[in-house]
Amino acid sequence: MRKYWIWLVALAPAGVAGILALLLQGGSLPNLVLQFRADLGALLLLAGLLLSVAGLGIAALWTLARRRQERAVAGEQASAAEAHRRFIQRLDHELKNPLTAIRAGLANLDSAPGQAERQDVLVSVSAQAERLGRLAADLRKLAELEAQPLERAPVDVGELLEEAAELARQRPAAAERDLALTVPRAPWPLPAVAGDRDLLFLAVYNLLDNALKFTRAGDTVEVRAFEDGASVVVEVADTGSGIPADEILHIFDELYRGQGARGVEGSGLGLALVKAVVERHGGTVAARSRPGQGSVFTLRLPAG
Amino acid sequence: MEEKPRILLVDDEPDITSNLAPFLERAGFSVGVAADGVAALRRVADTSPDIIVLDVLMPKLDGREVCRRLRASGNWTPIIMLTRVGEATERAMTLGEGADDYLNKPFDPHELVARIQAVLRRARPGTPPLTAAHRLACGSFILDRAARRVLAAGRELPLTPRAVALLDYLMTHAGELLSRERLLDAVWGWDYPVGTRAVDMRIAELRKHLEDDPDSPRYIETVPGQGYMFIGQMEAAP
Repeated sequence: MRKYWIWLVALAPAGVAGILALLLQGGSLPNLVLQFRADLGALLLLAGLLLSVAGLGIAALWTLARRRQERAVAGEQASAAEAHRRFIQRLDHELKNPLTAIRAGLANLDSAPGQAERQDVLVSVSAQAERLGRLAADLRKLAELEAQPLERAPVDVGELLEEAAELARQRPAAAERDLALTVPRAPWPLPAVAGDRDLLFLAVYNLLDNALKFTRAGDTVEVRAFEDGASVVVEVADTGSGIPADEILHIFDELYRGQGARGVEGSGLGLALVKAVVERHGGTVAARSRPGQGSVFTLRLPAG
Repeated sequence: MEEKPRILLVDDEPDITSNLAPFLERAGFSVGVAADGVAALRRVADTSPDIIVLDVLMPKLDGREVCRRLRASGNWTPIIMLTRVGEATERAMTLGEGADDYLNKPFDPHELVARIQAVLRRARPGTPPLTAAHRLACGSFILDRAARRVLAAGRELPLTPRAVALLDYLMTHAGELLSRERLLDAVWGWDYPVGTRAVDMRIAELRKHLEDDPDSPRYIETVPGQGYMFIGQMEAAP
């Protein structure tokens, strides 16, 4: 019934005018100026009809807008439900593999002939338990990121990048790659970003870590920063394997792993964490890639 | 022969208690088990254990409420809380309740043993632990734990929230050698994948504002290659 009330309201003036006109014609309504009786009835009817036409127009527009809004909300809900379903599927997958390995290991334990074999099984089972532990820790990080109050202190992005690059250079993989860092000094140094230094460090380091993972010996990894008045922009670029166009839309989703990431160590939560950190700081992340040529990840953080 | 310390292990997951209890017994403790908060309170009244290892999320009466009730009745048996949800909110809540320490699930059982030993060493039977105090005074400054700020000469020091949380943890674990990894886990709440410089930077921030000279520290001592230790003399402040 609630859906139709607007149409009733729109038609009401026409109805009221019609009844008034009829009553006037029939003489059952006392009229002070009798000679205008017919004209007044016609005028009332005309005014009522015009009002109703305008009302109907407004009602039609209103209904249309509402329906469009409903459809948009339904669409959003459907895509949120779809994203949730995909997440559960991936989580299921991430849990299944180590659990299968643990069960297989435990089944072997019974028939393991000697102490050495039993030790092998226990080492492998505890490695899987650690893997599950890391997954739980990463999921918790993500959940906390959304709930935790954010620290807001001035962060020197240039210094942060230097430290992250320094830490990355200590990785064995970095020795075989050309890792370059460019932070502008002229005409002025990068402005500070208000935020949580540890979280921003985590975001940048995760990108660097990915760049090292998805490149080979001899490849180039470049970290560069600049500002455009409103934002501090950090780019992490590499000449690695790149990301196919149909995967790049999903790489920031929780637990998503592309074809190229199969067999590469990681929980599938790194980029989701990067995105969550940057968005908590009021910034944006984006990725561009050409398969075979490499990728560039761009973090944009509000300056000041 | 010295008597074994008696632990009351409270968790509603039989899989956890049935694996953890024998482990703790092998580590030299005598272990009793309770499966929920109500049973835990009964066991505490009947057996007065030396320390309680208490899970937070439990049916009937959760760990937090058990802790509150014990403290309200004047029982200061040391308590280690096993938390499972994120640090931030959980940690803040643990404060008013007077738990002596907390450990994030999942944890390494060896770590639990180390914590039990540390808490037992620190505990003064029958008296409230420092972790139950809302304000701690040390040297020239006061840590207001409830308001999460540090006062020196009546003025608030401009510390970042994480530096205050770090100081809180250091002070409530005074005399314990705390590795950077443990501090990351306890204060940051994560096993940080990015090394341990984060800890050093906040320690430097604390030292600067507390005017603590790292070469002859009054408050925070660096233990080379191992971590940090809080060495200041403390008391609960009014």
